[in-house]
Amino acid sequence: MIAGMRRYEVIVIGGGHAGCEAARACARMGLETAMVTMNLDLIAQMSCNPAIGGIAKGHLVREVDALGGVMGEVADEVGIQFRLLNTSRGPAVWSPRAQCDKKQYRIRMRERLEREPNLRIVQAEVAAFLMTELGGGRRRVDGVKLRDGRDLAAGAVIVTTGTFLNGLAHVGQTTYSCGRNGEPPAVLLGDQLRSSGLQWARLKTGTPPRLDGRTIDFSRFERQEGDACPTPFSFLTGRIDREQVCCFIGYTTGDTKALIQEAIGRSPLYSGQIEGVGPRYCPSIEDKFVKFPDKDRHQIFLEPEGLDTNEIYVNGMSTSMPVDVQAAMIASVPGLERAEMIRPGYAIEYDAVDPRELSHALEVRRIEDLFLAGQINGTSGYEEAACQGLLAGINAARKVQGRDPVVLARTAGYCGILVDDLVTKGADEPYRMFTSRAEFRLHLRIDNADERLTKIGREVGLVCDRRWVVFEEKQRQKHAVAALLARTRVNPEIVGELARPGDRPAMDVWLRRPEARIDTIRAWIERSMGVPLVEGVLATVETEIKYGGYLQQQQRQVERLRSSERRPIPSGFVYREVPGLSREIREKLERVAPVNLGQAARIPGVTPAAIAVLDVYLSLNSTR
Amino acid sequence: MDPRDTIAAVSTPPGRGGIGVVRISGKSAIAVAGCLLRFPHPPSWKPWSAALAELIDSDGHTVDQVIATYFAAPRSYTAEDVVEISCHGAPVVLRLALERACASGARIAEPGEFTLRAFLNGRIDLPQSEAVRDLIEATTLYQARIAAQQVDGAVSRKLAPLKRQLLDLIALLEAGIDFAEDDVSVASDEDIARRLAPVEAGIGQLVRSFAYGKLVHQGFTLAIVGRPNAGKSSLFNRLLEQDRAIVTEIPGTTRDLVSETASIAGLPVRLVDTAGIRESQDVVERLGIERSFQAMADADLTLVVVDRHAGVSPEDLELIGKARAQGRCLVVANKCDLGGADPGTDAVSVSALTGEGIEPLRQAIVAGLGGGAALNEDGGFITSIRHEALLRESLEALQHGREALGHGLPHEMLLLDFYAALAPIDSITGATTADDILNRIFSTFCIGK
Repeated sequence: MIAGMRRYEVIVIGGGHAGCEAARACARMGLETAMVTMNLDLIAQMSCNPAIGGIAKGHLVREVDALGGVMGEVADEVGIQFRLLNTSRGPAVWSPRAQCDKKQYRIRMRERLEREPNLRIVQAEVAAFLMTELGGGRRRVDGVKLRDGRDLAAGAVIVTTGTFLNGLAHVGQTTYSCGRNGEPPAVLLGDQLRSSGLQWARLKTGTPPRLDGRTIDFSRFERQEGDACPTPFSFLTGRIDREQVCCFIGYTTGDTKALIQEAIGRSPLYSGQIEGVGPRYCPSIEDKFVKFPDKDRHQIFLEPEGLDTNEIYVNGMSTSMPVDVQAAMIASVPGLERAEMIRPGYAIEYDAVDPRELSHALEVRRIEDLFLAGQINGTSGYEEAACQGLLAGINAARKVQGRDPVVLARTAGYCGILVDDLVTKGADEPYRMFTSRAEFRLHLRIDNADERLTKIGREVGLVCDRRWVVFEEKQRQKHAVAALLARTRVNPEIVGELARPGDRPAMDVWLRRPEARIDTIRAWIERSMGVPLVEGVLATVETEIKYGGYLQQQQRQVERLRSSERRPIPSGFVYREVPGLSREIREKLERVAPVNLGQAARIPGVTPAAIAVLDVYLSLNSTR
Repeated sequence: MDPRDTIAAVSTPPGRGGIGVVRISGKSAIAVAGCLLRFPHPPSWKPWSAALAELIDSDGHTVDQVIATYFAAPRSYTAEDVVEISCHGAPVVLRLALERACASGARIAEPGEFTLRAFLNGRIDLPQSEAVRDLIEATTLYQARIAAQQVDGAVSRKLAPLKRQLLDLIALLEAGIDFAEDDVSVASDEDIARRLAPVEAGIGQLVRSFAYGKLVHQGFTLAIVGRPNAGKSSLFNRLLEQDRAIVTEIPGTTRDLVSETASIAGLPVRLVDTAGIRESQDVVERLGIERSFQAMADADLTLVVVDRHAGVSPEDLELIGKARAQGRCLVVANKCDLGGADPGTDAVSVSALTGEGIEPLRQAIVAGLGGGAALNEDGGFITSIRHEALLRESLEALQHGREALGHGLPHEMLLLDFYAALAPIDSITGATTADDILNRIFSTFCIGK
């Protein structure tokens, strides 16, 4: 007997960092889920640099983990060099980063996905969506049509196709259609989405050449070691005592500059061949030399792609120059004179949906049950993708379950900021997270991501019992330690030489002093508590005591933000009726359809005067 | 309060005047005005020109001869269609016009609603709408000129470069945090301090300028004190340019405070003449002298008048010392027409009798109030108490930030102070607007502005 159409509750298209989180989240939440990927062996491929985390990105991974996502645990398992960044500043902007073994990352992620009982992985190319017209310009997606002829029905579909939609790679004057690294692009799906009436942007990103490590003279580079005591991403990871590898720092030379300037006419970026908008925070090496002509040299990092490969990633040298120029560029760097290139760098242009088409649930507003996550929404970075994948997964699952979406506030975490920024501001260039995007930065720390998000993860059904037990115990200990510090006075038995004669403040007051460190009294706390301390609990206690004043100051500033968040804008609000809004501003508001005044105020180009007008108008309307 | 209604109000002050104006604003302003008016000579509604018309009552009887002016949207105060009807100013006529307007589809405007509409329609920004209120309440021409400059956005303009510098600094620190991995040099404490200084100085100067701006806005009190017969009342009359106080040669003629309003260099000033200060057994005179001291304490500036001809006495010096201890004070050496020794460089020599030295005295008064520099800055000072409070808040945050810098706090904490300094500036330049601010502003408007 030949069966009819196979039905899943959720179908995830794509097996990258967004797709993995989305599929696993849906499966974990109890939904019958399928992940459709073009190549089973390249699930969770780290297509660009071999690192996870970084400033603000490390925060995202930590939050994904706190919500019950998977990226942090896998990164902890396959990390080969861990560094906590920004430690010269306060704990709010400390961010973990790990060089990872790329191949191991794929393998471990696939193993985890295959262990999910509700998840099926299907290797196929999706050719089209199955859609129903709902009238009024609205449609609903009912499933997907595979290129091999099969139809799969679904309650909801999550698209995480990265750079695969109409991807076009550039190396010098040579161009070829591809998804990433020579994989075939998803043209059929790209065409259908293109013609579906959604707004699009053409974006560009790039990647540097990879070298054969055996041909590099590492002695000419500065060594960059990992931290002696690695900071894990996951709240569930204990100590990491794996042996770590080293990265290397070097610089381009005057020769590099000269030959790039000479060959600039052959760069597809400058010849007009590339139309897509690239990220300003991650320029190609040719961009750096053209835009900062006064700078004579640029930093480059040599990063191993894994433990059992010679492949070295040349971070900082992203380029789409012709291959011969790339080879010359590399040879111009001291220590790379004899280096052999394994793969050249390339730039890739791809289609991204204007994320202002989405609701805060990451659902396409005009196409019911269709969710988008990752690079297709105009973001860049594995971590940004994972975070969206997780949230799209949660919300697609909840839609199928008939529940309200989970929308994280900007003050709850970088995840919330990411989504709100995307749906409010769109992405004129590939979007990356920065800590400066956070209004409540001092609160959004890596040490308290669990406190901010794990409860939410538990409520939606993503946080497993083990994580929940760890979390609850950490909260219990946190309060107990705080109480202990408040009721105990400083004495030499506890703090040793740091005690001053006749000066006996409570321990928590003492901790505010610059010279006081909670680590020095760790043994005493453990003795007093009578139980082993949960990882990270002391860091949180210390931070909240030391920076309590600043945290409160920020809290007051955030209240201003919240008050405008509390002024809702009714759905279907007619901006045309508001006098004094210019046509330009009105169109921006109509495009985003903000849910409250705070969001409206964050729309670029919407002036404070327009917000004041809208505020008055809304208040007049609400009193009438 | 529906912003789509057509509204009407009497926009001249209450009471009987030569002319009274009824203003109608909104989509149906023309239609409403058409019900009130009869035009002898068509064509009637030519935009931005005045036309003679008759105000008619509900029975069609002519009540008044009026001038009607039509301002077509958006080139009107509210950016809506506006009709202004200038009637003869009898309250009963104005009331009739208003009643007829309401009977014809308009409603009576709420306080400040015309300005609210100008704001809603993007004609003016928030500081401008505040300045409109000041303009309306101006009592001297100078005040009006300053208010007009603020309507023109002088405060926002003054703040713009400071805000830009602050934003530059914020951007610098943010870059250091978010790009610590990259080859970005971290701003040194010296660099931060160097960039912070001009912002702090600029905001500080604006905050201090409020002392003078307040005088422009609210006027000031000038007390004239001195020993009996020093010529206080003569000086009072001379500054007023009228014989208001009784002047005799008998010491102790002025027994109570005499006050009068005048204008000095365009600033509204309340001049207070006081009883001469001396030891006295007379009960009434002693009460008067007490009041003299009280007036000195209340004044923004005290003129201590000494008799240059008779010479400066120890009692004079004692009084000058008292006045200086209490606040700003100027020593005026009167009767310079009679000769006598120059009492010192910081005294202004005048003759209340001949008027000699009065102009330099006026200038010295303005300078003594701190307006010397500000006067030349054309609106480079703030007059609104809201602006003062906000800029003070901003200044305090900047000072806090500077201290935090000195304590070596991490940059993300410094930024907290810098954002706290930015937010109040935003509320002036219009970036942040809360309901209560709007409400407060618009509720201080009188009807029909």
